[in-house]
This record gives sequence, C-alpha cells and structure tokens, in this order.
Amino acid sequence: MTVLEARSVVKSYGPTPALRGVGLELAEGEVLAVTGPSGCGKSTLLHCLSGILQPDSGEVRYRGRPLDAYSEADRTRLRRTEFGVLFQFGQLVAEISAAENVALPLLLTGRSRAEARTAARDQLDRLGVAEAAESRPGQLSGGQQQRVAAARALVTEPGVLFADEPTGALDQLAGEKLLGELVRTARERGTSVLLVTHAPVVAAYADREVVLHDGVVDASGLGTGRLGAGARTGTPL
Amino acid sequence: MSAVLEMRPAVLLRLARAGTRTDTLRVVLTAAGALLGTLALLAGLTVAAIGTPLDVTAGSRAQSDQYSSLLLRQPGLRPGVCLAFGLLTLPVLALAGQCARIGAPARDRRLAALRLAGATPRQSTAVVATETGLAALLGACAGFAVHFTLRAVLDEPNADGRLPLPTDVLPHPVGMAAVLLGIPLLSAASSAVLTRRVVVSPLGVTRRVRTRVPRPWPGLLLLAAAAAFAGVGALRPEESGLPETDSVLVEGGLPLLLLLIGGVCTVLGLVLGTAWISHTAGRILHRHARRAPALLAARRLIADPWHGSRTLSAFLACVLVGAGAAAVRATFSALWDAETAAARYEARAGVDDRALTRADPFYLDSMFLVDVAVVTAAVIAVGGLLVALAEAVAARRRTHAALIASGVPRSVLARATLWQTLAPAVPAVLLALSLGTALGRGVMGRKAAAGGHRFRACVAADGCPDALTDANSKAVEVPEMVRTTHIPWAELAFQAGGALVLLLAATAAALLFLRSTASVEELRTQ
Repeated sequence: MTVLEARSVVKSYGPTPALRGVGLELAEGEVLAVTGPSGCGKSTLLHCLSGILQPDSGEVRYRGRPLDAYSEADRTRLRRTEFGVLFQFGQLVAEISAAENVALPLLLTGRSRAEARTAARDQLDRLGVAEAAESRPGQLSGGQQQRVAAARALVTEPGVLFADEPTGALDQLAGEKLLGELVRTARERGTSVLLVTHAPVVAAYADREVVLHDGVVDASGLGTGRLGAGARTGTPL
Repeated sequence: MSAVLEMRPAVLLRLARAGTRTDTLRVVLTAAGALLGTLALLAGLTVAAIGTPLDVTAGSRAQSDQYSSLLLRQPGLRPGVCLAFGLLTLPVLALAGQCARIGAPARDRRLAALRLAGATPRQSTAVVATETGLAALLGACAGFAVHFTLRAVLDEPNADGRLPLPTDVLPHPVGMAAVLLGIPLLSAASSAVLTRRVVVSPLGVTRRVRTRVPRPWPGLLLLAAAAAFAGVGALRPEESGLPETDSVLVEGGLPLLLLLIGGVCTVLGLVLGTAWISHTAGRILHRHARRAPALLAARRLIADPWHGSRTLSAFLACVLVGAGAAAVRATFSALWDAETAAARYEARAGVDDRALTRADPFYLDSMFLVDVAVVTAAVIAVGGLLVALAEAVAARRRTHAALIASGVPRSVLARATLWQTLAPAVPAVLLALSLGTALGRGVMGRKAAAGGHRFRACVAADGCPDALTDANSKAVEVPEMVRTTHIPWAELAFQAGGALVLLLAATAAALLFLRSTASVEELRTQ
C-alpha cells in the first residue's frame, strides 16, 4: 500500500529550478533511498514530501490526502505525529537535555512530562545512548547527538521517517552503526523510511533506490533492486 | 490556553526558561526595564491621585497645602507632572525593546529547532511571549515592592509639617491593576509582534530585513509638527504672562491636542529620518573615506541604515526634549527679567517695595526638575544604546574573529564601530537640537512681556494699612516691559557636547565586548 506519493512535483528557488516534475511512491514499511549528486534536488524533494516546503506545482499525497489541503499548523502536527524528520546536523535544542529533546514532540502534543520522559528514555536506550539522557547536546559527540536526534525522530512511532544525509557528519563506523539501528527499528515498527543520501554505502541500506539528476528522476537508476535480504536485516549487502 | 497551544503550561514554562547566560541577561534586563517603567507609572498615578481640596474660597484651583513642592500643591501643574512621568516611560520602553534583542540570533535558532521538533508557529511564539511576559511580570512586581518601600521610608514631613512627596495618597486601584497587568501583557504582546519579523521554519530562521533604501519623507512629519506647533503659538494669548501660558498648556483642549500631535510627529519624524541620515552619511562616507575603518562603517551604514534609527531613537528624543526645555527656560528667563523690571517700576512708584516679592521665579526654578527628568531619560536611553551597540558587536563576533584571524588589527574594528555610531549620530543630534529649539521657541514665543497695567500705589509715609484712598495713594501706569528671548547658545552647546560625550562613552563601553567576543577562538566554537 502506498503511504506517500509525489506527482509531477516542481519547485524552484527564484529563477533556479530544483525539482522539475518529480514523481515517486513510498510503500508501507519500505526503505527508499533517494540518491544523486550534490545540487540535484534531493533535499528539496525531502522537504516537499515532508511538508516543510510547498511545491510550486504538482502534488504530494500522504495516505491519499494532498498535503496542500493541510494548513501550516496542521502540516507541523503531521510532522510531529505521523512523520519523523532527521537531518544531517543542527536539529537539537542546545539549551535542554538529550532526554528533553527526545521528549519534546510528545510534550508539544500535551502528553505529561513523566509519560514523555519514559518514552524518551526507552527510545534513547534502543539507540544505545541512554547514558547521555541528562547531558546537553553540546556535551555529546557528533555520533551521540545524531543518535539523540534519531531517537527524537522515532519517539512518536511515526508512519514515515525522513532522513536527510543522516550520517553526513559522522565517520564511517559511527554512520553505519546509526543507520543499522535506525533501519532495524523502522523495520520492527513497519515505519516507511525515505533516505536522502549521496553515499552509495548509505543507499545500500534501502530496499529501493531512486536517482535524481538535475531535478528529475533518472529513469536508468529507478528500482535497481540491488538491495534486498541484507537491507531487511539492517545491514548493507 | 493549553488547549489552544496543545502543550501543558509546565512545558511552556520549561521551554521559556531554557536558555544560556545571554538569555538570562535578556530576562534580567527586561525585568529591570519593567521595574523602572512601573516606578514611573506609579509615580504618575500617585500624583494624579492627589485630591483637590473642597475648600472653595480659593476658587476651583485650591491648593493642596500639605505638600512642600509647588508642583504637587497646584492642581494646574499636576497634570504636567503626570505627563512628565508618563513620558519618562518612553526611554524605559525603548531600553526594554533594545534588551529584547539581546541574544536574539541564538534564541531564533532555538525556535527553529523547536519547530523542527514539531512546534507550531503559535507554540514557538508562545514560548517567546511567555519568557518576556514572565520577566516583565517579575519586574512589575518588584517595581510595586520598591514603590511601597520608598513610600514608607520617605513618608516624613519636613520642618514646616509639609510632605516633600505625596506619600499620603495611593494610586487608584484600577490604575495599579492596569500597571501590574498591562506591563507584562504589553511586553508579551510586543515580543510576539517582534517575532513576526522572524520567520522560524524547521529549516532555519529567516529575518525579514527591510532592504529598501530609506527615503527623506519623514521630513514631511517634521513639517506637520512645525505646523502643529505654529498652531499652538497662534492660539497663545498675546499677553502671554505665565498664568496664561499655564492655561494654554493645561486647560486649552485644542492647543493640548496640537502639542501632542506636534510632539508625536516630531519624534516619529526624527526617528524615521535617522534611517535616511544613516544611509546618506554612509554614502558620503563611502565616497570620501580612504581608510579601512571608515569604509567598513560606510558599508555597514548603507547595508542596514535602520540600525541607526533603532539604536539612537530614544536618545535623540531626549536631546530634542532637552533642547526644547532650554528654549522654554530662555523664555522663562526673559519673562523673569520683564517681571522683575515691572516690579521694580511698581516699587519705585510707591513706597511699598512688596511689589518686588510678587515677581515669582517658580516657573524658572521648576525647569530644574525638567532638566533632572531629561538627564534621567537620557541616561536610560544611553543604557539602551549601550545594549544595542554591545549586541551588534556580539552579533558580528564570527566576522570579527575571521577578520582578526586574517590579520586585521582590533583597533580597525573598534574605529569602524566608532565611525558607524558617530557618522549618523552627529548630524542627527544637531538636527534634534535645532528642532527642539525651534519648537520650544515656536510654542513659547520670541518675546516675553510683563507690566502694561494700571494700579494705585501707596504713597503714605507710614504705609497704607487700610484701603487705598486718593489721599494716601496715586494712580500708576506700569509700562509694558518687553524682553526678547535669546537662543540659548551656551546651553545648546553644552547639550551637544554632553550628547557627544555620552555617545562616545556608550560606544567605548560596547567596544569592551569587542575584546572578549572577537577572539580567534570563536572560529573553533561554532
């Protein structure tokens, strides 16, 4: 079943086109990698699919409902409850602890602090950073910060996880470890993952790969199917 | 509220409290601003609460004799005192506005991070408004505590049994409630409005910056102000002795309205015009500058001319009022001269020299209090200026660090900041002085007159204990004594020098931050 769908999405920044009619589908529980060289529009596509940016034309549908039918506040709520978003860096609130950062999406929906804190600690534990719960982001290593961010993206048990170069700021070992845990957790929960990366080693964690070139899907790179059993276990082939 | 915002109040409080030392400083200064504002407003309300005695033998303008100060005794003067306290809150509000900008970039980044974590725009605005509102509430409560403490401490009659301050009356409860609730609510609302200029998206923060070049149209506001003040002058009675001037300012509805309109137009015109002055000063400086500091300053002035109007506005308003007060003092001084001359004439005409004591320098003396208010307001405004300059230095720390790392001496950056402050400030201060003087002279007139009346003077050698009769008195016609009001050049020069010294002091103090913030280490920490 298709969870997320883009139809002929066009997005420009001033006179510069970023996406020129992109279409793709993300199935329930699928891990999809969007790859391509720098500046090809990968991140813009992720921002359009997650409702952070609105396309100039075309349509993005989540479970059959167009995102442009949502107000800005509703799209924010959608990102908080149904989507998880993980960026390369800079997404944690520096002034509060790691546990509070992870609990934040739950607190913003009105859940009690105790309940949110318990869920946050569980999620931090799953991703192997329970010991960092009371530390502030500035006191953590890059790898730990990224795990905390991943915990926050997953704490609401989202239907779709968007990850934009999630290992871009990490060394290879830390990156692989994070991706392995991220994909394993997503698979356990049936979460769909849209993974934007330019690194083949990261894309290798996906079930399917879509290649972008100059804002359009490169037909030759569609559905390479070179991933499978290995990806299913959370390790690349 | 929590239903609207979705999150619980405790969470809102936690997020509002989250911050660094810079955020704490912002909160403390916001609270201090609210404290000062509360004190000024409570003082004004206390004076307004002084009742006029019901004893009508002295007419409707019976005096409140329990006070030693004429400003408090005379019902006709008290509205002016209240207005002065109200006006004193303006630089305080300007200071609070500057304080709200401290650490703004870091706070904006935090808001963006909150948005990324799923906070709606309304929730992120609520976090900012809560922080400011709570700080202002704390400040307002502290202001009440200080007010009532001072009220108890200063409630001491002097030797003749009169009170130096109105410690025997309380402000109206509605007024007190309005101050206690109004200051936090206004602060929260203004911070929410200010954040409307900051578009916080999950991808980061975009500050809507005014990029258009400022135009000289604020000059029209100054013309409107001149017309309003000319109107006040035209409505002034020709025989403008002091009581008439008093009645024009206090009782005349139309003149008072014109005064208010003129005042608002002048301040707005000056504040908005400063952006144009900044831009023009930047362009001229850029055309003629040959050295790096001036060129850097010129580029900054051209790039953000509104910085000048933001930082200098309250200070310029004080300079303008100070110059206006100097012009008014010159009029009172001329009037005192004329009254003294008329009194001397009266004394010479008869044997009774009590006429000399009738000339009352009260209005001239009361200008001292105006000076105190202006200096207080100027000091507060310079505090705001210092905060703005220090914040601007801190905001550029990465750029400064990069320049220093590439070999630019710190002194070049310091001189650039000095140029950036003084290039628009010097012409703006001169303009404010000129406007203030012109407006003061426009309202008060260029001549002062006394005398021009007839009376019967006692000529009996042993005085006239009973009624004056033809036998013991003679008719005397006192000629009109006219004195020209001179432009108070010396006082204006003193004010210009003082303003320049204050500006230099504020800039020098802000440059102390340059040493601590523009460290090459900055390049490693972010």
